Amino acid sequence: MTALASPKPSRFRRKMNSIWTYLSKPQNTILLALGIILTVTTIFPMVTIVRDTVRLHPGSVDTNANAADAQVEVMGETYTTYNWTNLFTDNITTRVGRERVTRSVASIYLWTPLLNSIFISIFACFGAILYGGVFAYLVTRTNLKLKKYLSSIFIFPYIMPQWTLAVMWQNLFNSNVVTGGNDGLLTSVFGVHMPLWWCQGIFPVSIVLALHYAPFAYILIGGIFRNMDANLEEAATILNTPRWKTFLRVTLPLVKPAILSTILLVFSSAMGSYPIPHYLKLNTLSTQYVGMSSNRAGQASILAVIMMLFGFLILIVNQRTTSGRKNFTTVTGKSGQTSVVNLRSGKYIVAVIFFITTLATGILPIILFAIETFLPNPGDYSFLTNGIAGHMTTKWWMTAENVTENGMYGQKGILFNSEIWNAFGGTLIVAVLCALCAGTIGTLIGYCVSKNRRSKWAAYVNNMAFLPYLMPSLAVGVAFFVFGSNVGIYNTFLLLVLAGTVKYIPFASRSALNSMMQLSGEIEEAAIIQDIPWWKRMTRIIIPIQKTSIISGYLLPFMTCLRELTLFMLLCGQGKIITTMLGYFDEMGLYAFSSGINLILIVVILLFNTLVNKLTGASLDAGIGGGK
Amino acid sequence: MARIELRDVTKRWGSYYAVEHLDLTIEDNAFVTLLGPSGCGKTTTLRMIAGLETPTEGRITIDGVPMFDSEMGINVPPNKRRVGFLFQNYALWPNMTVFQNIAFGLSNINESGAAVNDAGEVVRDETGKAPARKLTKEEIKRAVDRVSAIVKIGQFMDRYPSELSGGQQQRVAIARTLAPGPRVLFMDEPLSNLDAKLRLEMRSELQRLHLSTGSTFVYVTHDQMEAMTLATRICLIDNGVLQQYDEPLTVYNKPNNLFVADFVGNPAVNFIEASGTQDGNGALNLSILEDHKASFLPNGGLKIADWYAQDDKAQAEIKAKRDERAKQPGYVEKTNKDTVFNYNIARVVDNEEKRPAPTRQDFVLGVRPEFIKIDDSGAIEGEVFSAMPTGMETTVKIRVGNFLLTAVVFGGVVYKIGQKVRLSFSGDNIMLFSRENGRMIGNGTIQL
Repeated sequence: MTALASPKPSRFRRKMNSIWTYLSKPQNTILLALGIILTVTTIFPMVTIVRDTVRLHPGSVDTNANAADAQVEVMGETYTTYNWTNLFTDNITTRVGRERVTRSVASIYLWTPLLNSIFISIFACFGAILYGGVFAYLVTRTNLKLKKYLSSIFIFPYIMPQWTLAVMWQNLFNSNVVTGGNDGLLTSVFGVHMPLWWCQGIFPVSIVLALHYAPFAYILIGGIFRNMDANLEEAATILNTPRWKTFLRVTLPLVKPAILSTILLVFSSAMGSYPIPHYLKLNTLSTQYVGMSSNRAGQASILAVIMMLFGFLILIVNQRTTSGRKNFTTVTGKSGQTSVVNLRSGKYIVAVIFFITTLATGILPIILFAIETFLPNPGDYSFLTNGIAGHMTTKWWMTAENVTENGMYGQKGILFNSEIWNAFGGTLIVAVLCALCAGTIGTLIGYCVSKNRRSKWAAYVNNMAFLPYLMPSLAVGVAFFVFGSNVGIYNTFLLLVLAGTVKYIPFASRSALNSMMQLSGEIEEAAIIQDIPWWKRMTRIIIPIQKTSIISGYLLPFMTCLRELTLFMLLCGQGKIITTMLGYFDEMGLYAFSSGINLILIVVILLFNTLVNKLTGASLDAGIGGGK
Repeated sequence: MARIELRDVTKRWGSYYAVEHLDLTIEDNAFVTLLGPSGCGKTTTLRMIAGLETPTEGRITIDGVPMFDSEMGINVPPNKRRVGFLFQNYALWPNMTVFQNIAFGLSNINESGAAVNDAGEVVRDETGKAPARKLTKEEIKRAVDRVSAIVKIGQFMDRYPSELSGGQQQRVAIARTLAPGPRVLFMDEPLSNLDAKLRLEMRSELQRLHLSTGSTFVYVTHDQMEAMTLATRICLIDNGVLQQYDEPLTVYNKPNNLFVADFVGNPAVNFIEASGTQDGNGALNLSILEDHKASFLPNGGLKIADWYAQDDKAQAEIKAKRDERAKQPGYVEKTNKDTVFNYNIARVVDNEEKRPAPTRQDFVLGVRPEFIKIDDSGAIEGEVFSAMPTGMETTVKIRVGNFLLTAVVFGGVVYKIGQKVRLSFSGDNIMLFSRENGRMIGNGTIQL
């Protein structure tokens, strides 16, 4: 035994040996690299946004005469405290009718939108959980009819762009008398005028947000209902517990973690939503940010910082609740048939009710968008009242040359409009690249974290990857906007892909982590023992076994990217991608174009979803359902 | 083919010691079982030898080559240790057929002079001079054929693991492990997922396999029967500490302490508390079972006082060693403390009252069930409490006062519950333990 006799190596040598051993495991190397990259891409934009609140912005209020004394020079750069002091301490005088009213800057630019934001977020949570939760229960635990059809239609609002339902609300209820602009369907066909509170503001925004996020609640809560061990409830039944008591004391506590994570996710998403309050004319933090980003740029950044603080708060609450003792394992693997509640004749009635509501939220928008593109003028539903099909037109689609008459404003029809198709191509590029980056990084994170369950560094990387998920989209967008302008990559695909990747890694890392956790470590160890190299273990064993969840990890970022507006709208010019293009047509009043784009987007997304589902068995709901 | 040595191997998570200063030598061609209750550190030990787990400190060598050495900073990754590992739930790759499962590891061999000989065995050039090469398709086929013939799974080659029964999956896993010709075979409770009948069958096949491959086998189990029947040596671990490392029958007849005596043997050993002193003739005059007198004669004329003196000396040495460790930097105190084994005295009514700390006149007798003799000449009177005949033997629990003793009688004897019987203790393999520290003093005979 020669090795025994050899002298003890130096401390440095031993240290190097152990570092080498650590890094020779691929999961450690990847984790180290990803940890550093994610820290930079997540933390750095956040720091720049905080710095932006004390920077001078040319052409903004912080450069006016009053603000001159608040400036300080640090290392050749000019900083100012004006944005903070002005926002929180100064008053502003405005003219309301004939009177002059003095209000504090904060109440106009901060407190009102903040309160609105919080209110719609809370209402969206309740609405989504009530609607989605009840639906989840009905689909998984009762003998409801039409289950399969209903559950696939129910998630449509989440797959479709956020503003779909908001635009539909407008198209249905707006009227020239109440809201100004074009008459909606209800007014033009039946002459009904809905009141203003119904058409705009907190009420419709909350309803639309709740409808949009209800599928989320359905997927998360339904996932638990579906996997719940029926024995748990049967045990209570055997003990002669009344049904309602079983539900309150056994079932509900088990789904509580899912309800909590729904609340957190919906809250942060609703908070950062821009398009819905924009279309339905409510002043929230995100619309306020956009409204004041040019002449009060520094103060707008303060709003973004506040939104980020909400994100951190949610992250902390999320940590507390998911790591607690009350995070039950409901999947025991031994559960056989789940007992089904018999609704008797209710199974038909409830099915019909949901058939109608899902029709309204899932199918109707598509039909309405389609009709809009054939109307001669926005809101001109005359073909319905006089029954003449000739009152419809194909000009929005088919016009092949530049014409200024017909209300086309010199645009070619959708089918021939190269700007639209360029923007669509841009969206596809961004979506594909984002999906590739986010999917790959997320899968790697899921894999590496599952291999290093005890490691603190792994937990850190996991949290770092998860953080942007809980950040309101607009705050992330702002952070990357400020970051991108500073670095000089504003309005490039690079910036869009970067922001999209960082924001969507959690989709992939969640679903990968969950599925990797269920994969016994022995499966890979059996290959390690036989000296099979890492890439071969991944490509031949791990990926084939986990292909469904890995594909969902790519699919989710792709789908979300296709319809993303809030995150991207600050990062590029309007012609770059399709969703910002859509905003441009809306501003121009070319509603037929925006409806047409919406229609194309929705159809493309649904097609992709069905295609991938048929080909691989992976689906959106399975991916989201894997959320912690 | 391979001799494994562990020196001072420790694995801890924080202050929880899974394995504590383990010294173990596994001889070439041995069949060693690591035995112990669940959570005792036996699987951790196995995984450390295989390289799947990294020890906190210590040294592991295979064939004299260091695989792990905390002082030298050596840690050979598991894939370079050339070992085979059979997992508890087989870990077959569900996306590959049986053939692919077995061939996958072979297709990956790229070593100096690797080849498959006519018998289907993988051979390598041990001098390391021959150029590295990959195995050809024919060679792989030949090697797969050989191992699948050993475990008789030839007809399943195109099936997927999910299409096989538990026993068949087990065989595939064994074939996959054997195919690349490992020098050691590690098995982590390989039979625990099989039904009782199949388990018995596979046990005998594993024994034949050990014989025919000539490899070193290291086998983890919590089933003492499996350990007894298969092993050439049993390594019994509790709370991360090695309790005994001996041949099965030695472990059975001369257990180091109460824990080992209790863990090995089914039905379990009878513990009888006794107290008394040794007289000039070397016999211990003991009072047992409340009101019975007995005389224990140690084999080889052992003096109790001598034994205690020796034991004290040995313990002092161990304590000195431990104190020295405690002084070293980076020492972490063990939170999962070692305690004297809390043996169970079977009683009809449990009346566990607080008792004074045991003195050196307090002992525990260990009587295996087969040493309790039931016949009319027995000195102790009892009453049948329960009787379980299997046909081959009958396990009888006998009530003596408040105490219960378990006896095994061979042949189909029928006892009636409540029937009066007389019993005595036979043979010179009755065990005597110190109640103070739980360690075994020696074997001997009892006269009543």
